[in-house]
Amino acid sequence: MFGQKKQVLQALDTDLVVEFLQKTLPFNELDYSTLSDLAKHASIDFYPKGTRILEQDTSQVDFIYLIQTGGVKLYLQDKAGEITLKDYRGEGSTFGALAIIQGSKSSMTVEAVEDTFCFLFPKKSFLNLLRTHPGFSQYYLKVFSQNYIQKSFDELRKEKLSPKTEGSLYLFTVKVNDIIRRKPEIITPVQNIQQAAQRMSDLGIGSLLIKDEYGKIAGIITDKDIRSKVVARGLPYSTEVERIMTSPVKTISAHKVCFDALLDMMSNRIHHLAVQDGERIIGLITSHDILVLQGESPVYLFKEIMHQHRIERLYEISMKVPLVVRPLIEEGAKANNITRMITILNDLILGRLLALLEENLGPPPVPYCWLLMGSEGRKEQTFRTDQDNALIYQDPENEQKKKEAENYFNIFSQEAINHLVKCGYPLCQGGNMASNPKWCQPLSVWKRYFSNWVNKPEPQEVLNSTIFFDFRPACGSMFLGYELKEFLRSLVQGKDLFLRYLAQDCFRTRPPLSFFKNFIVDRDGVHKNRLDLKARGLVPFWDFARVMALRHGIMETNTLERMEMLDREGHIPHSLFVRARESYEFQMQLRFINQLKLMEAGEAPHNYINPAELTDLEKQTLKGAFSVISDLQSFLKETFKLSMA
Amino acid sequence: MPSLLTIPSMLLASTAWPFGIFSEDKPAHPLLAQSKDYFDRLDKDRPLKDYEFVVMDTELTGLNVKKDEIVSMGAVRIRAMRIDVESSFYFCASPTRDIPKISTLIHGITPSEAQKAPPLEDALLEMLDYCGNSIIVGHHISLDTGVLNRELKKHFGGVLHNLCIDTMHLARVYKEGHWTGSYEGYNMEFSYNLRNLSREYGLPLFAEHNALTDALQTAYLFLFLVHKLQEDSVWTLKDLCRAGCTRRWGL
Repeated sequence: MFGQKKQVLQALDTDLVVEFLQKTLPFNELDYSTLSDLAKHASIDFYPKGTRILEQDTSQVDFIYLIQTGGVKLYLQDKAGEITLKDYRGEGSTFGALAIIQGSKSSMTVEAVEDTFCFLFPKKSFLNLLRTHPGFSQYYLKVFSQNYIQKSFDELRKEKLSPKTEGSLYLFTVKVNDIIRRKPEIITPVQNIQQAAQRMSDLGIGSLLIKDEYGKIAGIITDKDIRSKVVARGLPYSTEVERIMTSPVKTISAHKVCFDALLDMMSNRIHHLAVQDGERIIGLITSHDILVLQGESPVYLFKEIMHQHRIERLYEISMKVPLVVRPLIEEGAKANNITRMITILNDLILGRLLALLEENLGPPPVPYCWLLMGSEGRKEQTFRTDQDNALIYQDPENEQKKKEAENYFNIFSQEAINHLVKCGYPLCQGGNMASNPKWCQPLSVWKRYFSNWVNKPEPQEVLNSTIFFDFRPACGSMFLGYELKEFLRSLVQGKDLFLRYLAQDCFRTRPPLSFFKNFIVDRDGVHKNRLDLKARGLVPFWDFARVMALRHGIMETNTLERMEMLDREGHIPHSLFVRARESYEFQMQLRFINQLKLMEAGEAPHNYINPAELTDLEKQTLKGAFSVISDLQSFLKETFKLSMA
Repeated sequence: MPSLLTIPSMLLASTAWPFGIFSEDKPAHPLLAQSKDYFDRLDKDRPLKDYEFVVMDTELTGLNVKKDEIVSMGAVRIRAMRIDVESSFYFCASPTRDIPKISTLIHGITPSEAQKAPPLEDALLEMLDYCGNSIIVGHHISLDTGVLNRELKKHFGGVLHNLCIDTMHLARVYKEGHWTGSYEGYNMEFSYNLRNLSREYGLPLFAEHNALTDALQTAYLFLFLVHKLQEDSVWTLKDLCRAGCTRRWGL
């Protein structure tokens, strides 16, 4: 109306949006001009806590929503009104994309769980970006794939670990050709299952190839096929093999390395590959053939430990534990399985060490039991966990026996601790070891210790004693440990004051994110800009599982098992359990791989991670994992009727 | 610093009502006349999303409605109760007086920058065009409209007739609503400063004392308060006026 309208107009707002987009997945990969184009079409909306932004199956989705501040939950409601929580999204996350891409109504209900501001970008702009920027659409494909968490695990495995140990080196040097053990056994399709099975058992092999009428390899049958497709389904043994064979047969070229073969097997979830030399099938390899390559197998180490007759030999054997563990990680084992493997191996070493020590010192005057506490007690050891142990012995009948026992176990535990240090288990800084006379006591004294902690709880005492509540009998006369456990179980029942102290203790650590916000990292000291994954991420899970387990008389010590039992017995909501398990496992895995990397670089393993070194997907997953901590804490607050901590 | 801008000006609020007073020197500009006509007949019974709002903030050379001048002005538009990112407005004017050092310290516009700006008259016309028949929203808006109206009267012989909503009023209503029935009573310590309110409500925070980012900050505050005050009911414009109008509205 007044000519030259734009003369004094400066659009600064779009910069604010662009700046935000530049920090946000997957927009950060777009260039400035694309972003500022997108920002021009943006609007900003506010949804108070509790607002249903999108309704399942009802809402037309005209925008993609990018959360500026606040958070939303996404859930499904079935016809019976049952609600399944699918996801939480926070600052920097989007929603609405799936509906736009599929051109459908919103598949879930989206509700603001905090006061939430969103940037809204029109459907058209979003679709346009998907069309013109492949990297951008790739991200959404990734997000939509069901196994989001699994993807993060895979990324961890692939990107963080470069192959190094001897075992895995073989995988990269040995050719498939070199591990073929015999010529392939080939039969014709007209043969029936019984004949095939007969042939397999005659030859002592687990699989047969089947050729078609033109002499080409058409399929494969394995032990498993006969078990699952024939016996389990009650097919007659006269069925032709053709009907149950797997076809076509996956093949691999003879000059490829074993690592490729292993990858093929893992990605196809099969255990057999036919080896091809030109057009010819020259053999068959199995996953077992490949695993045999890895000399440091757990079984091998197990045998070595059991056959040692000198304590000193155990020192070097214990150093091999990480070597055994590494291939497991590469093979995709979850952290919990790995820590259990480490625990088993460490227990074996400890058992052997104490047995040899008894041989040296003579039999103990009274039965004893070696207790493990803290992470060892929870069977969650990583590579070099400080020693947390104690010794419990049967109450001696008289004064003389008592003296004898004190002397014997004093020397015994002192020597055991020294040997353990030489095996690579560092001393406990807090002195929580069997060599400390306070923690080397007869059963009656131990019962008194626990009674004092539980009946007359002093806040500080409770804090200091949490590791004792994760104790587990490891070697010796196990019945002593179990008796103490049983004593503790009945002792804790109904001790609300004590349980409340423990629960309150769970609030010591705030979750590292104030709900989805940016990572809080340590601001000073050696670990500047790093996040203490143990203190901030894992301890809350340990604390939660401990107090809930004690409350419900669950004497298991492993965090995941504690949570599984709590879930099974209906003490915690199933959805909370599922999320807690996922996020706990992911963090354990992350810590694990981080420590392994440090050890391989010759550094001492620690629990700090640098968020900047994580991939975006890992960051997102970790953010999600941390958000579970708030939920665990609110659950405790409700359960123990704690006022705001 | 921020308190310099808001607290003393609250005292001036009661004297700053030059709305609706027609200049006798000049006939009102057609834009102003048209807008008066529009607002005189405005139907206030429709839901809020049917109206357009312009959230504005001005940076002044001081806090005196009678003397101080506009250094810059920023505004953002709200349509369908959403902030429209592209449709924002900003100008920097050249005041006739020197910009006092103290105000330069606050808004960061130096006298030389201000001198380069186009004449206020042009900027005001564009502002009128931008505002059109939108409802004006601002934080302690009577200070801004007070100065604007003085200038409009001087240059165009009329004043703004747009309905004005003050987010500070809204904040007070929200706060007092919160306190009703609470034993804490009225909290005199409470700050109605834009920044403090935004922080208290956990809103995203933008750079301070730039007219445009302050306008944006106010827009966020406005959205927040309106939603919070509505609770489950849907407000009409009349409801909003009850809570946040800068003058008694003839209902």
